[in-house]
Amino acid sequence: MKRKLSLLFIPQAGNNYKALLTQPSFLGLFIALYLLNQSLVKSFTIFKPGVLGYSSKITVSKIVKLTNLERVKHHLQPLNYNADLSLSATNKAKDMFKENYWAHNSPSGKTPWDFFKEIDYQYSVAGENLAKDFYDNESVIKAWMKSPTHRENILHPKYLEIGIGVVDGTLNGVKTTLVVQHFGRPLDLANLQENQLAPTDSPLIPVSAGQPQVLSQQQSKQLISPLQISKTVGAVLFMVLISVMFIDGYFTIKNKTKRLSGSVTGHISFLAIIFMLLLFSQQGSIF
Amino acid sequence: MPKDIIKELKQKPSEFIFLVIMLLLASVLFFYFNYNPHFQRRVIYFTSGAYLFWSLFHHYKRGDLELSIVIEYLLIAIFAVVLMTTTLI
Repeated sequence: MKRKLSLLFIPQAGNNYKALLTQPSFLGLFIALYLLNQSLVKSFTIFKPGVLGYSSKITVSKIVKLTNLERVKHHLQPLNYNADLSLSATNKAKDMFKENYWAHNSPSGKTPWDFFKEIDYQYSVAGENLAKDFYDNESVIKAWMKSPTHRENILHPKYLEIGIGVVDGTLNGVKTTLVVQHFGRPLDLANLQENQLAPTDSPLIPVSAGQPQVLSQQQSKQLISPLQISKTVGAVLFMVLISVMFIDGYFTIKNKTKRLSGSVTGHISFLAIIFMLLLFSQQGSIF
Repeated sequence: MPKDIIKELKQKPSEFIFLVIMLLLASVLFFYFNYNPHFQRRVIYFTSGAYLFWSLFHHYKRGDLELSIVIEYLLIAIFAVVLMTTTLI
């Protein structure tokens, strides 16, 4: 047993002077193990939808406040909160859960402008920003501000009003929070509404794909994030591989073994950088 | 082990400097495209491909470019691509 274990980690005659875990067959096994983990996570989201997901503490009022802060920072007029625009944004988010899509246009051909029309909002200029899987308000705004097109929406000088939809639901089997930001400039400026108060600390509206919509308010509970599972399994595999490469390299130099093999320094540098990127990759995506 | 790395670095410093610059550039690009998984995936494809090409050049210059070595690098690059692209949401 001890000898078999040493073959996995220490280069010797029995493993052709290369730790078994760094040999191609075992590298293939590492890939297979990770793919198996991903398949299990995916199967779980299909057979037990709503168990895995991203918990969030995003609120409408905070998104409005942070958006206006960005505008003020750029010497632009803050936007008036418009409850009608919030309704169109909320309808859009609910539609994404209902039809199970993540895009500006729905599979049935609905465009963002259809949601403005539904609430009879006449505009001369309008825009939409989308975000999902984020945990906090600050990250959502930061992500939008980093993207030139979303940033352009936030800092568009012609927009006068804003509405936000923050809806909790299940998308592709994963529980998440969708944030929809609708901007507009009323066609008739005489219709410009006075700044309404954004609902403070409004919790999420829960919606599930293909299920009756429950409009009662509910605090989001802590969910098991699929990203965290993938990151943890990935990090363990990376650490095992990097450690074995260190051990393998140490014994190779110690025993002055001459062998035909890839560069340990190259492998460790590459894997270490990828490991770091994996650890620091952020949760959340925008559209 | 550090001696092993230092010995290898001393043999072909320019090749390893190039590798480090390439990896650092990839990290900068990856963080620049934070919250944009589409571009981040591209950065990972590019980095893994570049690493594979670097290994071909490195071993060709060393005179030990063999199929088994290419497969080893290929599997490590695939490992990185699979891990990163399936993790990025």
